[in-house]
Parts: sequence; C-alpha cells; structure tokens
Amino acid sequence: MEKSIKRYWPLFVLPTMAAFAIGFIIPFGYGIFLSFCKFTTVVDWKWVGVQNYTKIFYVNGKLDTTFLHSLWYTALFTLVTVLVINLAAFGVAMALTKGIRGTNLFRTAFFLPNLIGGIVLSYIWLMIFNAFLNSYHKTIVSTQWYAFWGLVIVVCWQQIGYMMIIYIAGIQNIPADLIEAAKIDGANNRQMLRYVTIPQLAPTITICTFLTLTNGFKLFDQNLALTGGNPGKLSQLLALNIYDTMYGTTGWQGVGQAKAVIFFLLVAVISLLQNKLTRGKETEN
Amino acid sequence: MKKRVLSIVLGTAMAASVLAGCGSTDSAEPAATAAPADADTAATEAATDAATTAAEGNTETATTEAAADAEAGDIPGGRVYLLNFKPETDDAWQDLASTYNGMGGNVTVVTAADGQYATTLQSEMAKSEAPTIFNIGNSTDAQTWDDYTYDLKGSAVYDHVSDHSLDVLYNGKTAAIANCYEAYGIIYNKTILDAYCTLDGAKVASADEIQDFDTLKAVADDINSRVDELNEALAGTAFDGTVTEAFASAGLDDSSSWRFSGHLANFPLYYEFKDDGLEDLTAGEPEIKGTYLDQYQKVWDMYVADSAADPATLAGGTYNAEEELGLGEAVFYQNGDWEFSALTNPENGYIVTADDLDMMPIYFGVDDENEGLAVGTENHWAVNSKAAQEDIDASLYFLNWAITSDEGRDAIVNTMGLSAPFDTFTGDFAPANAFGAKAAVYTEAGKTSTAWSFNATPNVDDWRADVVSALTAYTDGSGDWDAVKDAFVTGWADQWRLAHAE
Repeated sequence: MEKSIKRYWPLFVLPTMAAFAIGFIIPFGYGIFLSFCKFTTVVDWKWVGVQNYTKIFYVNGKLDTTFLHSLWYTALFTLVTVLVINLAAFGVAMALTKGIRGTNLFRTAFFLPNLIGGIVLSYIWLMIFNAFLNSYHKTIVSTQWYAFWGLVIVVCWQQIGYMMIIYIAGIQNIPADLIEAAKIDGANNRQMLRYVTIPQLAPTITICTFLTLTNGFKLFDQNLALTGGNPGKLSQLLALNIYDTMYGTTGWQGVGQAKAVIFFLLVAVISLLQNKLTRGKETEN
Repeated sequence: MKKRVLSIVLGTAMAASVLAGCGSTDSAEPAATAAPADADTAATEAATDAATTAAEGNTETATTEAAADAEAGDIPGGRVYLLNFKPETDDAWQDLASTYNGMGGNVTVVTAADGQYATTLQSEMAKSEAPTIFNIGNSTDAQTWDDYTYDLKGSAVYDHVSDHSLDVLYNGKTAAIANCYEAYGIIYNKTILDAYCTLDGAKVASADEIQDFDTLKAVADDINSRVDELNEALAGTAFDGTVTEAFASAGLDDSSSWRFSGHLANFPLYYEFKDDGLEDLTAGEPEIKGTYLDQYQKVWDMYVADSAADPATLAGGTYNAEEELGLGEAVFYQNGDWEFSALTNPENGYIVTADDLDMMPIYFGVDDENEGLAVGTENHWAVNSKAAQEDIDASLYFLNWAITSDEGRDAIVNTMGLSAPFDTFTGDFAPANAFGAKAAVYTEAGKTSTAWSFNATPNVDDWRADVVSALTAYTDGSGDWDAVKDAFVTGWADQWRLAHAE
C-alpha cells in the first residue's frame, strides 16, 4: 500500500497541480512577463524591457508622484485600519465572551456588515457621510483627508465583526484549566489579560493582523464606490491606482501591469515579515 | 485537540487569502484573452445569420419580382460587406440588407460585439473577403486606417451630407462621413422661460431674443434672483411654485462632471483649433494655449452662481440635475439630445412634457451669432480603398440607397432611432428627437454646428480627472483659476505626449 503511494504519488498530485498551474502559476508568470511588454490585448505584445517600470515614476521628463502618493496613502490607511480593527474587534470579542444576555444577538449584529458587498455598503455610507457633511458645506471628497477617514470608518465598520468572530473562537479555545489555575493563584483581571489571554491568543492575533494588513493593502471596492479616487487622484489606494493606469491611460496597460508586480512584491514582503514577527510570539502548549 | 482544529481553520483562511491576493490582480488576464475569441464567434454567427437571411431574401424575390422597385435593375453586382459598429442596430441592418439583397444586391452585415470593434476590424481586415464599409470613430482612427480609407468626396452619398463639419478629414481626403449624430447645448424649459418674459422688467421679451452669452447671463441672473415672482407668474401651470433656480446644479461628481470637463471644455478647444486653422476640428493639436479659458470661466461661474446648489458640495454626488429640470425646479440644463427620452419618459415621474422642452446653443461669448448646437458623433462610414473597384462602387451605391430609399430612411430613423445628417431626412423621416431636430433648425438658419473637438482629448479620463479636480477646488474656494488653466493647458500637452508616444 505504502509502496504504491510512493510510486504513484505524481498521479494523485496531478489534478490539483494542474488546476493550480492553470489558475495561478501560469497567469502569474505571464503577468510578470507582460509587465515588460507594451500590449493592448494579452496576446498582442511587444517586448519593451524595464521601460514600464521607469514610467511609473518618471513621465515626460519629470518625476510623477501619483504612484508614490497612493503608496504612502495606502500604507497609512493600512496602519490605521489594522490598529483600529484589531483593538476594537478584540475588545468586542472580550465583551461578548463574558456570557452577558443577548450575546448571540450582538455577535450576529456585529457580523452583519460583512455580509453586504463592499460596493453597496460604500454607496450607503456615501449618502450618510454626504448628508452629514452637507451641513458643514463639505463632501466626502472635499479633501483627501475627508476621503481617508471616510474609508477608515467604512472599512472598520465592515471588518470589525469579522475579526471579532475569529477572536471569539480564539478566546473560547483558551483551556479552562489554565484560567482556573490562574484564578486560584490570585491573578486579577489585568494579570489574566496580560499573562493568560493575550499569550494564548497569539495565533489568533497573527491571523487577524495578517488578514487586516492584506485587506488594507488590497482594498478596492470601497475605494471605488466611496471616493472614486477623488479629489483628483488623491484618495486612490494602490489597487485603484493600478486599475486606473490599466484602463484609463492609453497604451499604459504594461505600466499598470508593472505596478501590479511591484504591488505583489510589496504585499508579499510585508505579510511575510509580519508573519515572522507575530509567529515568534506564539507559544506551544 | 481543539487548538489544532482552530489552527487548521485559521491556516486555511490564511492560505485562502494569500491565494486570493495573488489571484485578484493577475487572474484577470485569462478572461481577457477569452474575450476576442468570443467576439470572433459572435461575428461568425452574425455572418451566418446574414447569409441565411440573404438566402431567404433571394427566394422571396422570385415571388415578389413584379412588385420589385424599378431601380432594382441598377444595383451594381459588387460585393458589399458592412462591419457595423452599433450592436443595438444589428437587427435593423440585417433586415435592411435582406430587403436590398431581395432587390438583387449582395450585402453582408456583420456587427462587432460591444467594445470589440477595433479588434474585430483588425482581424476582419486581414481576411481576403474584408469589410468594404467600416466605422471610423475619430481622426486617430483615420490615422490608423489611413491606407484603407477611400476618399468619399464627390460620391453620391457624400453629396447628400447636410453638415460637412462632421466629416473625418485626414491626409487631404474625406476619410469618413458621419451616419448619425448627437447634439448638445442648453436644454431649457420653454414654459417657464416664457412666463419669465412676462415679468416686469424682464431682460428679454421672448426666448428667441437670447442669442448671445451676455443676454443669457443677464436672464439667468435675473431669474435666479426673482424666483418668487416667477413662481407667482406660473400660477395655473404645471410649474406653479416649482422653480428654485435658473441653472440645474453643475455636479462635479463622476456622473456629471463630464458635462463640463468634456462638453463645456469643448468650446475653448473648438475655437482655438478654429483659430489655428485645423483642417479637421476634431483632430486636435499636441499643445494648446488656452486662449478662450477666460470665457470658459465666465460660463462656469454663471452655472455655479445661478443655481441653488451649494458650490462647496458640487463634487459630493448628491445632486441630480436631470431631476431638477424634470421637476420644473431649474430652467436651464446643459446636456444633450439623449436626455430627451429620459425627460419625457412617463416612468421617471417628471412633470415636464415634450412641449415644454427646447434646446439652445451653449452661447460661449466668442462667435455667438454663428454658433449652432454642438453636433458630433463617433459613427462614421469609411469605405475600404483596398477592395476591388467594383466592390467600392457597390458599397457606395448601397450607402446611398440606405439614405435615399424609403426602406433605408425608415430603418435609420424609426427602427434605429438615429438622427441622420443627410438632406434626404425630411418630412416623414425628420428625426423624432426634438433636440436632435433643433440642431438642423440652427444649421438651416445659417449657423455652424460646433464640432466635437473634445473627441481629440488625449488620455481622456486622466486629463478630465485633473481638470475636474482643479475646477472643484476653484469652485469650493480652496483653489484658484490658475490651477484650472494649468490642468487644462499643461495637462493637455503632457497627456498628448503620453498618448501619442510610441
């Protein structure tokens, strides 16, 4: 039995590998290849070397800061949302594992925003924001900072519930005997949190920061529907900036592709770093 | 154990999101490759359809030969292949082709899938039985297909064109002629404007007296400041108490800003291109000077000042200008003839009726006495110069038949619903769209339709985004007009260099 598995394993792996290759590896490799080409349709390309990459930063003989702007704007956005979402989700999860009345109702309510699509959600929020800001003679796209905080609010509102569920799962998995032992040893609430809950939650924190981090960098729907990158292109996050380059600028499909490659590298490096950092804090039990 | 289950779940979630991360940007490509293939199949299917309908048509001729038109005998025998640009007109063209084939013609109509015209044309042109009639959108297209465009000047169909400002000129020839057009200007509510004229001290005695920018501005200013009086004068009409402003809101959100960064911006471009003596006013130039931007500012200031909308919140997307005109709140609304059906459609719940609506040119203060509506299109017929002379003749004959015969005119006006710029569309075949018809009224009165010079805008989305952004800042008070000028003039040169670079 074991022998035949050893002999025939390529046969068993084949379907999955084929699907994976067709779905991911080939398009991904082809995508990288296209970032070095000028193309209108993906089969009609012309090799241009690194020209697409230089065009991202240097256009018409001067520095083009659009991409750099959306880069730091996205980084800042991600930083803020990672902090807010995780702190809030953790807080809510703690509150909803204390066994208070209506716990299930609250959990459902907090999770609900996640079930609405990003586009619909953003249009609804757009109306709310503008109705409110109207009395101050402002709109959500009056400056890039209105747009920024608008996006932060929408994304937090949507994702806190989701992360909360993961945190709740984590909290419920803390062994009861550990908590009991700590209580017998006379640990107060703060000590319980500091020395029992948080260390035990390390794997959960890893996954939640990972998810919020990548979600922040990849955010697209909400950006498109809520601000559309306005004013100007000042509230364009990276994904929207890439989309805009690809479809908005004549003959710049290759540049959009080059941006997408840089975007991939960036998200990959940051996620790996983050994983390594938080993984180190996890304890084995 | 529990923990292990949790970590498996979390691990799966993580893996899924990593994969989704790679996938979302790159996996879009295979879908794109599939699209042209679809277009091809669609084209082939359409071709087969046309072939079968043609065959049916031929068998019918036998029985109805006696009834056939006298001109049937004149139809030249060459092959005609029309590669149609507007998918919504496909059925009408197929019917028209089979009627024509029934009379002895040899016409095939193929319609490219929506948004796939350029790729379809490219592959069809490479075939031995290439299209003999194809669509040219603007002068950039004419440049691309320069080797393929037959000079239409002097042909019968060319002589029927009522407005040659729509021709696409390139390389010293008439590369293509428009087969339909759209017009835009200032839509206004006649009933309210007439009531205004009855007020004491009204700036004009009738709507017809508005013939230039200064008068328009004086009237709009006056209406905006005397809304209450005007509402009293409208007592007893459908618009009793509805009026709140002269101009409908000039929204700068994405759903409305093109009216100003595209349509209104057309005027400074048009007059500048005209000054520079451009052969084709929709072809554009690598650099512009912005000579008429002061006038652009004046018109824009009027739109903003003579409206009830808060200038600081125009970009918020909370305004609906069409509704303001439809509900009789606004008197003027800059937009095009495509608004006619929306404004008169009973399902929209508007109180304006077709009788209340009219359109005037956007008087820009440069050459107001000669200015008609802004008329343009992306639909032009070009004839393939590489086809056999026999086929070229047959194609020109077919086009002429389409715009002169009753069957053709009926199909174009009634079935396709287009406004056609040919002198044969009169009487029963006059465009049904009141705004579209108004364009002809102005040209017949000796005015010149303003060409759609904005068709030349390089990297249209990028250029407009920058102009709108500067215009928004200027309007809400956080920026100045120089930034608008800069976005307009410098932005143009920059985008031109990008769009036309190899």
